[in-house]
Amino acid sequence: MKNKINLFLVEYAINALLRRGWKHFFIVSIFTFLIFLLSSILFISDAIKLELNSTLNLLPEITLQRFVGGKQSDVPIERMDALLDIEGVSRAIPRVWGYYYFKPAGVNFSVVGIDAYEPQYKEALQSIVDTVDVKALENKHGMIVGEGVKKVLSENYYKDFFNFVTNDGRWEKVHIAGVFHSAISLEANDMILLPKKIAYEIFGMDSNHATDIVVKVSNPKEIPMVVSKINLLYPDMRTITKDDIRVSYQNIFDYKSGFFLSLFVVSAFTFFIIVYDKLSGLSAEEKKEIGILKAVGWSMDDIIKEKFYESFILSVCAFILGLCISLFFVYGLHAPLLRDIFIGYSNLKPSFDLPFSVDGGMLSLLFLLSVPIYIGATLIPTWRASILDADEVMR
Amino acid sequence: MIVLKDIRKVYATPSEEVIALDHVSLHIKAGQFCVLKGASGSGKSTILSLIAGLSKPNSGEVIVDGKQISKLPDTFSANFRRAHIGFIFQKFHLIPTLSVKENIIVPLIPENLTQEHMEERAQSAMEKFSIAHKASSIVKYLSGGEQQRVAIARALVNQPKIILADEPTANLDAKLSLELIAIFEMLKSEGVSIIVATHDPLFFELACVDSLIEMKNGAIIA
Amino acid sequence: MTMTPEIIALLMLDALFLFFAIIAFVLSVRIFVKWNRHATTPVQYALEKQSYLVSVVIKYIFVLKIPLFLFFIFTCDKLSNIITGAMCAAGVVNSVEFGLYLTLFKIINLYLFGFWLIVNRADMQEEKLPFTKLKFLLFSLFFFPLVAEIGLEISFFASLNISKIVSCCGTLFSAASTSYLALLFSVDSTVIVGIFYFFAALVGVAYFLKNRLVFIFANGMFAIFAIISLIVFFSTYVYELPTHNCPFCLLQKEYYGIGYLMYSTLFIGTFFGMCGGILEELTRRSDVSFFTISIIFDGLYCVIVTLYPVVYYLNNGVWL
Ligand SMILES: Nc1ncnc2c1ncn2[C@@H]1O[C@H](COP(=O)(O)OP(=O)(O)OP(=O)(O)O)[C@@H](O)[C@H]1O
Ligand SMILES: [Mg+2]
Repeated sequence: MKNKINLFLVEYAINALLRRGWKHFFIVSIFTFLIFLLSSILFISDAIKLELNSTLNLLPEITLQRFVGGKQSDVPIERMDALLDIEGVSRAIPRVWGYYYFKPAGVNFSVVGIDAYEPQYKEALQSIVDTVDVKALENKHGMIVGEGVKKVLSENYYKDFFNFVTNDGRWEKVHIAGVFHSAISLEANDMILLPKKIAYEIFGMDSNHATDIVVKVSNPKEIPMVVSKINLLYPDMRTITKDDIRVSYQNIFDYKSGFFLSLFVVSAFTFFIIVYDKLSGLSAEEKKEIGILKAVGWSMDDIIKEKFYESFILSVCAFILGLCISLFFVYGLHAPLLRDIFIGYSNLKPSFDLPFSVDGGMLSLLFLLSVPIYIGATLIPTWRASILDADEVMR
Repeated sequence: MIVLKDIRKVYATPSEEVIALDHVSLHIKAGQFCVLKGASGSGKSTILSLIAGLSKPNSGEVIVDGKQISKLPDTFSANFRRAHIGFIFQKFHLIPTLSVKENIIVPLIPENLTQEHMEERAQSAMEKFSIAHKASSIVKYLSGGEQQRVAIARALVNQPKIILADEPTANLDAKLSLELIAIFEMLKSEGVSIIVATHDPLFFELACVDSLIEMKNGAIIA
Repeated sequence: MTMTPEIIALLMLDALFLFFAIIAFVLSVRIFVKWNRHATTPVQYALEKQSYLVSVVIKYIFVLKIPLFLFFIFTCDKLSNIITGAMCAAGVVNSVEFGLYLTLFKIINLYLFGFWLIVNRADMQEEKLPFTKLKFLLFSLFFFPLVAEIGLEISFFASLNISKIVSCCGTLFSAASTSYLALLFSVDSTVIVGIFYFFAALVGVAYFLKNRLVFIFANGMFAIFAIISLIVFFSTYVYELPTHNCPFCLLQKEYYGIGYLMYSTLFIGTFFGMCGGILEELTRRSDVSFFTISIIFDGLYCVIVTLYPVVYYLNNGVWL
């Protein structure tokens, strides 16, 4: 209130920091590095979560898979009618899709079959499909591919067609009719869209079967009821709801970032000790300075304040520095190395952009995880310095 | 006016207890020039730091200008020190990596003055001791005489009523010592009390010295 | 047990606080027992020095506690995305039986620590350090609610269960609620709003009459009824929904985080009103600035909450 900040004291503190730059250099670099690591990890995991959530929101309410003898197998399409009869189900869509392993690059493509007359199970896909003429695609025997796929294929000299090896060992030559971009890049990147007919051939599937069925329920509250009805009707079908997927994703990411955070807690503790130790050892010159300050009329309070300003300025600078480096690393360089740990899917996946997801909450989290710990570590050394006997300087 | 009443000061070292002052009483009137002399270890510095409130007695009272300084809490004794006492040390005790001006304003910092006020006080102190032309030079590159003037300017920047000097001439040659004494004389004429702890015989025959106190083994003998 | 980064941050700082609080507690008890202002013993000098460590530590804890309180609510708010059924912090806080007590302890501790700091300040302003014994006694006592808070917080996060379905604020803050909160809704909201403005007016009157005790009392009641009236009446105008009575949703982005402003003004106003008043009672010296700050922030709070219904009425021509 009345005691406004003493700018001369702040100036003195900055000056003291500059004078003893070498002493702080070590601490500041470790601290900056810790903050950099911490914020990078949190930025990445948050960005992925955001990406996943936006993907998840577009997902169908219920996915039905058929299991025979514990293995997933194709679903007969005639089951559709019974499903549509269930009250609350607004739509059921059979899907034909699968992964295609492309050996030369060691990556998996997701191959999705599309149909001219059938609506797609989600909007993003629909919007891609809307831009192409599926009939023409069928006639041309062509496909459209995600950007990542295009890149991998052209690296392997497939410029305008690709030879799929079908289930029974034949070659199926398909033209690349187009490339699509997508806002939800996380999964669209490795996707190949082609007419259902070709998909059936590549996977060697019966054309009256589907890989799985997605069910739309208009009222989310009815989902549990619909699920129980389906289970009763088809005991061999497994129902996966959007919530199941959401929770399992959440768990994976919380597990991964939890692992890093516990590492962080350990390093923060170590750091606390290092700072404590480093600041506790005052050189003769520093002791003398404190003695002089006291002799010319500084109180313990003044010295504590000055030291506090020192550590506050230092830690905030390190914080900002670490944050900036990490922002650049994650959003500028797309987080090489670190990102792989989090994503760890096929080699294709990592090429998506991390959506920017830094907000006030995130910044305050990072701040609270770092600066108070540094300042906490300086409290006791600061106090120790302030109680030094001034008559040391008399000798 | 400075009064020491029956002061005992014991330093506890790990090995033994050193009795630095043993029932010392002292009375120095305002405006006096007082010299403390005595062998090394006789307790001169200890008396100065007690008067300044930098250390506290084990028993007895230290009263400076009517204030019982030994009983004051730290903030108050610091304020008192800042307002009333200027220190001049044996080795100048400047902060070597700061400039002349920065050294001189150090005692003013806790006051939280305005910028102009601060400038003005620093400027007048520097001019008084003719060091203003070196205002932004780093102290450790100055000559001994210049450093001494900076130390004096710093001690006087708050216009204290009491000057405490601990071996002020120990590192000075004869010419500079005489200059310092001249400054003390000038200050005395301005009504400032001066207490000097020294071995330097130069101080013993000065006409301006009002009292010469001799110490031995923590007691006053003359 | 869920480990989000926010929870780890809170727990880590809790551990730090506990560590420092224990040091401060031990020193406080020692200082309280052995303090003798007239002694010239080395022990007394050492105690004087240690008293600085205690105040440094308490300042550190308090200064962090204020943003951490908001951060705690923010964390709960964020958790409400994961926990089924919870729409805002209220649901998360209430998903554990003692969640509300934890919040209560957090608020009380803010007042207690703030009070300690102004006592400390008053103490240091006098040569005789008249309140030193008192302030260290106070901290020896305040230590326990702090430990309780930290303990509650740790067990709160330990017993949070994401798969458990909790109620949202809609049912918690309504007459249908099973808790004592329902009691609030059985009283007519105009009565509560009336009481709120009555105490607001009383604060004003006490200020002009310079009656300290009335001022303290009025501020205390003002704080309580401000919260109650906020829940039963004012919040509905913020949400523009007659059935939404949550004191936590105010903090969300949709409402421009107006809650942060409301709660900070309310806290500052009532803190200086009560604690400042009690301090003046102690020092027997009046420090007009405390009461002035208090009346300004109390007033500000009143203006903010009053504006919501008034603006609503002006726009729509009806009351909710
Ligand atoms: N901090 C301390 N711890 C232990 N003993 C001390 C301390 N300060 C001073 N002493 C002892 O107290 C005695 C008086 O010291 P003091 O510094 O007052 O002597 P002095 O008269 O100033 O000597 P000199 O002329 O050498 O400066 C000495 O024996 C010294 O060893
Ligand atoms: Mg000496």
